[in-house]
This record gives sequence, C-alpha cells and structure tokens, in this order.
Amino acid sequence: MKEFAPLLHGYWYLLRGAGMTVLMAGVAVLPATLCGIVIALAQVFGNRFARGAVVAYLFVIRGIPLLVLLTFVYYLLPLTGIDLPPFWGVVLVLAFYYAAFMSEVFRAGILSLPRAQWDAARSLGMTRQLMMRIVIFPQALRLAAPPFVSLCVSLVKATSLVSIVGLWELTMASREIVERTLAPFQIFIGAACVYFCICYTLALYGKYLERRALVGH
Amino acid sequence: MLEIAGVSKRFGTLEVLRDVSLSVRSGEVVVVIGPSGSGKTTLLRCINMLEDYEQGTVVVDGEPVGYRFESTTGRRQRMSERDIAASREKIGIVFQSYNLFPHMTALQNIVAAPVRVRGIPRARAEARARELLAMVGLSDKASEYPVRLSGGQQQRVAIARALAMDPKIMLFDEVTSALDPELVGEVLAAIQQLARDGMTMIVVTHEMSFARDVADRIVFMDGGAIAEQGEPDQVFFAPRSERVRLFLKRYNDRYRI
Amino acid sequence: MPFDPHFIARLIPALVEGAEVTVELAVLTMAICLVWGLVVALAYGMRGPLGWIAGIYIQVVRNTPLLVQLYIVYFGLSMIGMGLSGFASGLLALCIQNGGYVAEIYRGGLQAVSPRQHEAGRALGMRRWTLYTTVILPQVVARIIPPLTNQAISITKDTSQVAAIAVMEMMKVAQVWVESSANTYDVFLGVAIIYLALTSVINLAGKLFERKLAFVQ
Repeated sequence: MKEFAPLLHGYWYLLRGAGMTVLMAGVAVLPATLCGIVIALAQVFGNRFARGAVVAYLFVIRGIPLLVLLTFVYYLLPLTGIDLPPFWGVVLVLAFYYAAFMSEVFRAGILSLPRAQWDAARSLGMTRQLMMRIVIFPQALRLAAPPFVSLCVSLVKATSLVSIVGLWELTMASREIVERTLAPFQIFIGAACVYFCICYTLALYGKYLERRALVGH
Repeated sequence: MLEIAGVSKRFGTLEVLRDVSLSVRSGEVVVVIGPSGSGKTTLLRCINMLEDYEQGTVVVDGEPVGYRFESTTGRRQRMSERDIAASREKIGIVFQSYNLFPHMTALQNIVAAPVRVRGIPRARAEARARELLAMVGLSDKASEYPVRLSGGQQQRVAIARALAMDPKIMLFDEVTSALDPELVGEVLAAIQQLARDGMTMIVVTHEMSFARDVADRIVFMDGGAIAEQGEPDQVFFAPRSERVRLFLKRYNDRYRI
Repeated sequence: MPFDPHFIARLIPALVEGAEVTVELAVLTMAICLVWGLVVALAYGMRGPLGWIAGIYIQVVRNTPLLVQLYIVYFGLSMIGMGLSGFASGLLALCIQNGGYVAEIYRGGLQAVSPRQHEAGRALGMRRWTLYTTVILPQVVARIIPPLTNQAISITKDTSQVAAIAVMEMMKVAQVWVESSANTYDVFLGVAIIYLALTSVINLAGKLFERKLAFVQ
C-alpha cells in the first residue's frame, strides 16, 4: 500500500488537472454541437454546393487522426500571426474535429424520424421553420441524445491528446508527477481512475437517456 | 395422433392457458378460432415446446413432447434439450412471420434442417426440396433469396421447409395475417392441398371462410380455454355458447359466411 | 516555402516508411482484436465472475483515454521490470482498448439477430451448435461488417498516438520533420493524404464486403 504514496501526495494536483480537462471539454462542446447541428441541417436541406462542401469536410475530418490536426494547428498558428492563447487554439481544433461526428449523430436523428411525422406536420399547413422547431427537432434531439453523450465521453478522452503538444491538463499533470516521483504505474493508474469517474458518469447518463428514448416507442 | 392433456400456463399473474385438453386424430384438420389474446398462439407454441408450461402434457404419435412423467416417481418432468429437439422433428410449424433464413436461398432454407439435423445426404435432401417447392408452386424460385420473394412466396417456402422434416403433424399460426390480401389465396391453397393429402393439422386463423372449407373440426378458444368445439357447420351456424355467437356475429355481418 | 519539390521528394520516402509502421500496427491490432474481442464477448455472456470481469474490463477501457493506457503499459511495465519496446507497448495498449470495443460490436451483432430466427431453427429440431453455425452466426457476420470497418478506421487513426512514446510511425516521423524544417504545410499535406488514402482503402474494403452479404436485412 505504501507504493501508492506518490499518488496520495499528488492526487490534488491530478484533480486540478481534471478540472482543466473538464473545462476544455466543456468549452469545446458548445461550438462543436452548434456547428454539428448546422452541418447536419446543411446536409439534409442544403443545396448541392453546401452538401458538397460538407461531404468534403466530413471525408477529411473522419479520415485523419485528431492528433495530426492538433499538431499542425499548434505549429501553424504562430506562423499565421494570429495571436491566440494555446488553450483556445486546442479548444477550437477539438470543436472543429468533433463537429463532424456530432453532425452525423444529428443527421441520423433527423433522418430516422418516420416519414409520417413530416407528412403530418406538412398536411397541417406548417411552414418548414415551424415544422422543424416543434415537430422534427424535439424528436430528433431526443433520438440523438444517447450517441451525443457517447461523443462527449469521446471528447473528454480526446483532451488527453493536447498533452502531446504541450498543453496542461490531467494527462500532462500526471506526466509531471511521474517525472518527479518516478512512479508511473501508480500515477497513471490514478489518472486513469479520474478519467474513468468523469467518463463513466457521463456514460451512465447516456444509458439513462437511451432508456428514456425508448419509452415513447 | 396428438393428445393435449390439461395444459395450463401463466405469464406472471395472467392465466394464458387454463387446463386445455384436445385430441387430434391422424389426418384430421382442426382449425382454432377465437379473439386475440385467447391463447391460440400460445397453445401452438406450447405444443412444440417453444414455450414452457406449468401443467399438463403433450403426446405426439405416442411419444411425449416437452414433459414426461417419470417412471419411478410419477412426477412431471421437463425433458432434456436433446430430447425436446428430437421430438420437434415430428412437429412442423409455420409462423405468422415466416422466419426464413435470410442468408440462404429458398432451396438452402429447405434443406438446412434435413441435412444438418437428420444427416440426410445433400443430394437426396435437395431432390425432396425441389418436390416440395413444386408442390407449393415455387419451382422456379429455388435459387432466390427471401429478400426477393413476396410475402406469400416466403410463406410457401416456410411451409415447404417445415414439410421437409416429414412431420407427423403440421401447426399453422395465423400464417396469412401478415400478408397482403391478394397473396393470401396462394398460401391457403397450399394448406388446402396438404389437407387433401391427409396431413394432420392444427390451423390457427382469422380466415373464417377458409376455416369452414378446410376444417374437419372447429375449436373456439376464449380466455385461455376451449369454449366450444364441433363440426364447422354446427359451430358457425348453430353455436351453443353465447361467446361464440357474439364472436361470429361480427364475422357473419361483415363477411356473410 | 510550401510546395517545395525538393523537400517533398525527401519527405515522401520518410513518410512512407512511417506509414509502413502505422499499417503494421493497425493490421496486427485488428487481427488480434478480432480474436480477443470474441473471447471477451463470450466471457461477457457467461454468468458468474467471468462475466463480471469482462463487463468491468469493457467499461474501463471505454472510459479511459488510449494515451493514458499507453503510458501505463509503456512506463508502468518497465517500472515493474517487464518493459516492452515502444512498438510492443503500443500494440498491447491498442489491443487492450480495441478488444473492448470489438467485444461490444460482437455483442451488438448477436443481439440484432431476431429471436424469430432462433425460434425457426429450434422449431426445425436444430440444437444449439447447428443453430448457431448455420443460422445465427452467418447473419451476425453480415451485420457487424459496418461497425468493424469503422473500428478498423478508428484503430488506424489511433496509431498516431503511439508517437507519444517515440515509435517511428507516421505521426512521429511527421513531428520530427516539422520540428527540423520550417515547412509545416507540406508535411501536413503529406501526412493527411496518406492517412486519407489508408482510411479510404479500409472504407472501400468494408463496402465490398457489405455488398457481398447484402441479402441480410
């Protein structure tokens, strides 16, 4: 048990790192979700150019690793002269990357609504805007909620990658402690536990949403 | 041929079958009718042990199916999975939702069980399968996958598949209820042919005029028990029980049997 | 600076060498996980402690980042004297994580086969072995092709994280080149194109398999 002493000493530092992790993920989620919805709508309702652009964007994002994007934006940004704090840089990259996956989730939600819903709304004389707002969206969001939560879990895990480009969050914090205490096993397992607590909680919430989504059917 | 004795089953607090007893002679066609939830489907599924039941026994061709009475203690005991699987070969069943194997052609669907369960050589099984396909009028569909067949065609393949195991008795569970009206006729024709060929059958159906045509005996089930049974003309035109009369009134008014 | 042909001529062979390692890692991981995932899935289906352990294993690997698992394997194992090379550590960590995901795919595929298929087979007198080999498993195989394809793509992209422990797969090669030259654009382009090529090939292979087994709904 005394082998875990380094962990007991360092856990507070890890928790602060976890706070940064949650902050990063939390800040990245909003633009990712909003863009995801916009992109999904563009794919479902947009004209040929919009859809073409979206398809190209999706193809590229889903085909390259997040780390590649993170690394190159990190090196590229200083060169373009934009003066952005690294925190915002990585948050934007995370949002940009995850918007692609979010859009797929929302698109699936919209498309999986039975045709009958659209027909009913249209034959009641609703405009497209009204129909989207009160019939399609609420139901699509409810269907998309469980996979959306799954993506949020993925996003939290993805924040660990920013440590490779040198930003500070939970993984970087654990690396720092390991360098000081030379006890990688305990510390990294401790970090894994912290991640597990965050992600598993989210995952349980997702399961709850899944069960609720089935109630209406 | 078939003896059902005192079968009872409950789902939780709901009594789905109450002390049901039925005898079916060899070559007899029994048609079971009744309102939804009366236990007709459950009865069929209990016969070939797709469902367990708490009381009663089923005996097919002299052999018990599902539960037997232990020789030494006289206690009712569930048969082993292997024995149950073996006894299922004597009972053919066709479901409402055809349940064809989607990854096999019609021919492969029919020969799968004879070859792998009975060990019949493939060539012989295929020859018999083609005979059966001809009997149900689908000789030209032998190499088609189910996804390319209409509902009526799939159902006829399902009938051929069940027949391929040479069952002693065939069970039909509302086999036309899921079909478009214009496809119903071809399936009923196949069943009628089977009846003419002398197969022992229990048919659960909503098709009342078909029931009248094909049945040797009509059984009316309601609330998990047999309310009335008898010859078709007697049950349809002079039912003894009020429940039967009410049930048939709806059909008489709508379909003029 | 960008699109410097001399630079690109030197860059490509280096990237390709890295890509070879990437592909090696990905292929090995996928092959091992197909088997290991099956073991886990079977264990999960069993009652008793084996089922619980499998369940916990799946939840743990799904809710902790690959990077942390990588660090635990690489640094942690060497701490207790069983150090593995970078490549081997990467392979082990990738297999541990993806084994859990593949197990979930197997389970999902099995559950997706309608119970009516089980009934139909049993009604014909089939016992468990025959039922599974001739009726159920072929349908499961057809159903799991799309998620397995996605998993293969995910694995390929995740190999980039092995760069964090200095394995010379493609991402690490790119990192080295970016740091030693000023030519970020070309390196990015090269890396992106190769990753896109790899993922596209996997996608095509997956679609081909899907088409061959298209009779299953």
